[in-house]
Formats: sequence, C-alpha cells, structure tokens
Amino acid sequence: MSFIELTNIDAGYIKGKPVLKGFNLSVEKGELVSLLGPSGCGKTTTLRTIAGFILAEKGMVGVGGKDYTNLPPNKRNIGLVFQNYALFPHLSVYENVAYGLKRRKVEKRLIPEKIEDVLKLVSLTGFEERLPAQLSGGQRQRVALARSIVIEPDLLLLDEPLSNLDAKLRDEMRAELSRLQHQLGITMIYVTHDQIEALSLSSRIIVMNEGNIEQIGTPEDIYERPETPFVARFIGFDNHLDGQFVSKSEEELVVDVNGTTLVSSRFSGSLDLVNNGDPVELYFRPDDTKLLDEEENNSIKANIDYANYQGNTTQYSLHVGESNLRAIVSGKPVPADVKSIRISIAPDKLIVEKKE
Amino acid sequence: MNRLHLKKTFVLLLLPGLIFLLFFFLTPLLFVLVESFKGPDGGITLIRYREVLTDAQFRLVFARTLKMALIVTPIAVLVGYPSAYLMTKLPAAKKSILMSLVILPLMTSPVARTYAWIVILGKYGIVNQTLTSIGILKEPVRLMYTEGAIIVGLLQLFLPIMILTLVSAMENVQDEVEEAALSLGSGKAGCFFRVIVPLSFDGLIMGVTLVFTGSITAYVTPAILGGAKVLTLSTLMRQEALVLMNWEAATVIAVIMILTTLILYNGLRLFKPRTLV
Amino acid sequence: MKKSKLLIFITIVMFVFLLGPFLVIIISSFSNNAVMRFPPEGFSLQWYNKVLNIEMFRTTFWMSLKTGLAATLTALILGVPVAYTNVRYRYPGKSALEIFFSSPAIVPGLVIGFSLLRFFIYVTKIPVLTGLYLGHTAILFPYTVRVVSASLRNFDRGIEEAAVSLGSSPVHAFFAVVLPNIQSGLIAAFILAFITSFNNVPVSLFLTGPGVATLPIQMLVYMEYYFDPTISALSSILIVLTIIIIQSAEKLLGISKYM
Repeated sequence: MSFIELTNIDAGYIKGKPVLKGFNLSVEKGELVSLLGPSGCGKTTTLRTIAGFILAEKGMVGVGGKDYTNLPPNKRNIGLVFQNYALFPHLSVYENVAYGLKRRKVEKRLIPEKIEDVLKLVSLTGFEERLPAQLSGGQRQRVALARSIVIEPDLLLLDEPLSNLDAKLRDEMRAELSRLQHQLGITMIYVTHDQIEALSLSSRIIVMNEGNIEQIGTPEDIYERPETPFVARFIGFDNHLDGQFVSKSEEELVVDVNGTTLVSSRFSGSLDLVNNGDPVELYFRPDDTKLLDEEENNSIKANIDYANYQGNTTQYSLHVGESNLRAIVSGKPVPADVKSIRISIAPDKLIVEKKE
Repeated sequence: MNRLHLKKTFVLLLLPGLIFLLFFFLTPLLFVLVESFKGPDGGITLIRYREVLTDAQFRLVFARTLKMALIVTPIAVLVGYPSAYLMTKLPAAKKSILMSLVILPLMTSPVARTYAWIVILGKYGIVNQTLTSIGILKEPVRLMYTEGAIIVGLLQLFLPIMILTLVSAMENVQDEVEEAALSLGSGKAGCFFRVIVPLSFDGLIMGVTLVFTGSITAYVTPAILGGAKVLTLSTLMRQEALVLMNWEAATVIAVIMILTTLILYNGLRLFKPRTLV
Repeated sequence: MKKSKLLIFITIVMFVFLLGPFLVIIISSFSNNAVMRFPPEGFSLQWYNKVLNIEMFRTTFWMSLKTGLAATLTALILGVPVAYTNVRYRYPGKSALEIFFSSPAIVPGLVIGFSLLRFFIYVTKIPVLTGLYLGHTAILFPYTVRVVSASLRNFDRGIEEAAVSLGSSPVHAFFAVVLPNIQSGLIAAFILAFITSFNNVPVSLFLTGPGVATLPIQMLVYMEYYFDPTISALSSILIVLTIIIIQSAEKLLGISKYM
C-alpha cells in the first residue's frame, strides 16, 4: 500500500460524465510527483479529489493508511497551495500562517515559535505584521507555502502555484520549492501544464490526458523515452512522419518512409504485434534534427521552406512529402539556393509508435 | 455520508428565505388571485372582472396610465442615453460624484421628492410666478393635478433608473471595441449608433422594462401630483380599497396590475438580443 | 466636438431637472409665510420648529426607523445564505428560484401591501405592525440577495477552500474568512435596503392602523389637510440626511456600483 493511494476513482462530473473514470494512482512517501498535462486532462480534478473538494462517486482515497474517501476536506491533514495564493486578505502574515494551527487547537504558547521557524524557512522573517495586499506575488506564495507547511501535513498539494509569477520569479520559487521539499521530506503532488517545472522538480512525472494516465516515469523517462504519441507530442517531439513497419530486432526497429529506410532504437511495446507493412508513426525533436549534405546513416531528404536565423541557431521549416517539420540547428542558415537537404536523426532520438 | 451533509447544508441555507417568501409573499398574492374570482355567492366566476373591465372610469384610467408610461419611457431613453454615455467617459472621480447625484432622487423619500413639484408647479409656484411676472401669462395656470405634472414627476424618478441601467450596460462595452471602430473610420456619432447602442442594447431593454412597468405601477407621484382629479391605475386601486371599501374591485385591479407587469417583463425580454460573444 | 457640446448640454439640463426641485424645497422651507410661493418671502425657521414639535412626526419617524431596522436585518439574515447558494451551488431549478427571490421587486408594491392586508390582517388576523414588518422584509429580499451575491461573486473561492483545507468547517470558514471580506457589500446592502424600507409608501399604505404608521404615510396624511411649508421643512431634513448617507456611502464603499 503506497502512502497515497487512489483506487478505481470516478470523480469530477462535467455534464453527467466523470472526468476520472476507474482512475488509479500511487505516490510514495517523500516523493514530489507532478501531474502534467493540458487543460482538462483531469490533473486538477485528481488534486481536488485528494483534497476532498470533489467527492468521488466510486473508489477509494487513502492517505498514510487512512481512508479519506468520505472525510470532509477540513478533517484531512492536507496542505493546499493555490495558483492565486488564496491568502486571507483581512489577516496579517502571522495570522494567515497561524490559522491552521489554531484550527488544530495547537497549544497557544507553541504557536509563535512554529510560525517563526516556518517564516525563516521561507525567508519571510520580519513580515509578520504585513497584510497580503502589501506583499509581492512571490512573497504571497511563500506565505501560502508557510501556511500549509506549518501544520505538518501528511501531504502537500500544489495547483499550478507558480503560474501567476513572472518568469524570473518562477525560476527562483522553483528552486525554493525544491529545496524545501528536500529539506522537509514532505510528500508533494504538484499540478502543472509546464514541462520545465515538472521536469526540474519531480522525482516522478505522471502525464495525464483526458482523465487517463498516459505515462508514469522519471523526468528522464518522460523526456527521452515517451511511450505514447500524446506524451511524445506534449514533451516536445514535435516532428512527425508516417511510415511503414519493416522489421524489428531486440534493439532496433526498421521502418520505411516514402522509400527511405530509417532505423530507431526507441520503440514501445505496442509494436510487438506489428506486421510488415503496418503503418507506424515517427516522432523526433526539432533539436535532434541534423542537416547533412550527402547521404549518411539514418537520413531522409527534405525540402526547405524557410530558414530563420536565430543567432546561435537556425530554425528551418521543412517538409517531407506532406509532413511539415522543424529543425533547430546550430550555425548560420544554408545558402538561399539550397532547396533541399538531407536531415538525419540519431536512432535513439527517433521514437516509433504504432499508428492508432 | 459526506454528500448528505452537503445537501443538508445547502437546504438549510436556502430554506429559511424560501419559506419566508412562500408564506409571507406568495401566499397572500395567491389569496388575492383566488379572491378575484369569487362572485357574490362565493362561487368561481369572472363577474368581478367584467364589472371592472367594462367600467368606463377604469378604462379611462388604464388607458391614461399606459399613455403616460408611453410618454415617460421614450423621453427617459432620449435624455438618458446621451447622459449615461457622457458619464461613462468621465474619469472615475467625477463619475463617482455624478453617479451619487443621479442616485439621489432614487434614494430620497418619494414624498419629499414629489412635494417639490407642488412648489414648482403650484398656483404660486416657480413656473407660474416666473411666467406671469415676465408677462407670458396673465394669470397663473393650473399645472398641478394634470397628466403633465405626473409625467414630470415620473421622469424625475425614472431618468436615474434608466441612466443607472445604461451606464452599467455601456461599461461592459470595452473601450477597445470603441477604439477599434474609430480606427476603422467610424465617426463618433456613427460609432455610438452602430457599435455602442447595439452592444448595450441588453441594458436598454432592461431600462425600458423597468421604466415602463415602473411608470404604470407608481403610486406616490400620481397620488400627490394627480390627486383624485387625475387617477392612475395605482391611485384608483387605492381609492377602491381604502376609500370606497370596494374590495372586490380593488382585488381585480391588483390582479390586472400584476398581469400587466408580468406581460411587460416577459414581452420585453423577447427583444433581448441573443447572447453576444 | 459638436457632439460633445450637445452631450454636455443635455446632461446639464438633466441634472438641473433632477436636482433642482430639491434645492427648491430646501429654499422654500425657510419661508416666513404660510403660503406655498416661490421664491419665498422672508426667512424663518418656524417650519423646522413646527416639524420637530409635531408629535406624530416624531412617533412615525421612530416607527419607520424600527421597522426599517428590523426588516433590513431579517432580510439580511435570510438573504445572505440565499446569496451564498446563488454563487456557490448549482442545482436544477436554480434560475427559477433566482427569479422568485427577485420577484418582490417586480410585483407592484401596492399589490404586495394590499395582499398582505387582505390575507394576514383580515384572514389570519395578525397585528398590523407584524404585517408591516413582514411586508417590508419581503420587499427587501431582492436588494439583500442581489447586492450580497455580487460581493460573493467577486470573492475568490480559493480563500474559502484554503480555510477549509486548514481545518475550518464550511460554516466557520464563512464567518471567519468570507464575511470579514465582504463587509462593504454587506454595508451597501444594509444601506440600500434600509433606505428602501424607510421611504416605502405602497406597502406601508395598506399596513397602517392605530399606532402603526410610517413617516411617509404620515406626511401624506398631513398633506391632505394642510398646505404649508411644514412638509417642505421635513422634506428638506430628509433630503439632507439622504445626501449625507449616500455621499458617505459612495465615498467609503462606492455604493453606486452595487445598484
């Protein structure tokens, strides 16, 4: 039994249909797990079901061995951090942070020390008397964090907490969050649509789409070895080609794209039952797309539509047959009279999936 | 278990207010409605309606009430729209002052508000005094207890309502929309008529509904400025109920008032444009 | 430019029309003479003196005050929970109920007063004062519900949820976290409702009896018998009070946005 266990959950009804159906999720103690996906994929629904603001029609929610399924949110020992901080506008920083402690009837004399400690942790010492309106976005988010950490929750749920911050602040806060999590060892479930956040913070990423889990893995797993077309596209394998299955061995997959043979060493189990001639899809990153003059291993001829100089790199818009591709290559653009070129992709950077 | 708790809370929140209105608002109304159908022998009949609807005085009064509403409403629109438009263009501080001035007639005691018109329109009031001293009039003219007096009084009440409704509707028309129209070559007047009016049409319909139905059901203004000489639907009803003790007629008139109001509200709602993007 | 001048002209004329009469009344209340003429002759405070000395005005003033307070508080206590369900819940039949709760503003006040008279006073024989209180409360519902709903709608739901996640029951969260932050909405609702009740004529008209009369009704009665600047003076007092209340409310709360 994992620390957080969602079993067979039906929850989050929109127009009569549940967002999550038969949903399962496990999170170990001390992990920072990200739920990553586009809007509407069910990540927020999952979070709110664990928090208790959405009641599951079916299934079980377990946290730390306790059955939370029918427990109202105020009885769950969970900390919540929201996208727009949700600080109590009429209370000072001190009062905001003390709120949860008071609800839990923590002994009065212990409270000031706890607050002092947690404020030090989030670098907000001295801000006790300020009101939320007097704080910057980053400061508010730190108060929100302090408020939910000080109650020593079993679990911290964060719903896109950094979306409202500007880029630089986001980077800083990300580092802070990471440090806090490692320092305190709190289990965190982090909802985001931003890959970079997920990749940099999590010990594990759960990619979701339309109420289903597409893939669970370490950041490296997700980034380098997407297992489904959705994950591949989501994580940046923007280039897509259609091809046909030729043959397969333990380590290699051979496909044919419009007469050109390409080899891949990244293919999922869905290709076990594929036959010669069956349609497959190839995915690769613009950054992994190299340009060549002559024929070389694993290359295919492409026609150049545009070349955009980007300083250190050049972005090319290309097409192979009907498919539009992008390549980001270091160096200056090729001469304007070059209309076609060969692009090559390393076998371990070329993902092949069965066509759905 | 939790779901039940949620439902219980919800019911507890809604129920007290709901029950209050059901008992102390709806029930008496329904009672009056039922009463209106009671004949002299206690059976169900339309005889009361016939008595009222065929009464010459009633017809006169009803027509007059409608007529006055039909005069007040367009004036409120014609004067209200430009003023409201101007107010939306003002900086916040000035606008706030003007808005609180516009609200004033609405928030003042109607008796006080209407009484002023006696001073203005009375035999020795401003209008008569000024006009006779200039020489336009030889003698003071009777302005009080006329339909005109009532219309003037109603305007003082309903212009603010029209303006409030229009201001709020026009504020929802984003500045950028207007700027886009102007940049595309529309003149200010054209922009107003072709862009702002259609987009605030919703508010216009609401304003027209409030002013029109309000004019029909107003009491204090016709009571003071029309007296017993110029009766409107509401002063007639009050006369039947409290002076003549003619409960049956008053009941019927009451139902007619509700019906007219409901018909107007729902009828005018049909003019609302379909949802805009 | 031409259009602006026209606009400004129309607006100015309109404001003169709306507010001029108030000035007239205030000026005429200082008349030395009992005849209602304008401009008034002389200067005298006799009418103000008279107003303050007429007992009927004093008693009905208190009656209006008491009724207004009681009705407003009731309409708030019953209406705030309703406003909450409006903003936080979805359920079948919600729009029908929303219309129902605003219907006291649509049904003519005269009809409401009349129906209360007929049903409660005549049939169930409850005291007139109670009927007055009930009638006023009913007509105040649309105001309290609408204004408080607007406030709640602007209130970030996340703040309530934060409170709950930290251990507050929903009820506790409401009192600890929501109410303190919708104060200006509550006060605006209170002021609007109270003024509506205080000034009301159509409902109070029918719910009047021995010892039970509101100030506006008393003024109307007085006007039926006397025609002197006494009412000017009383009206002036009311006008000035209204101006003070509305201006303060606008400055402190921006009350015009709640209307």
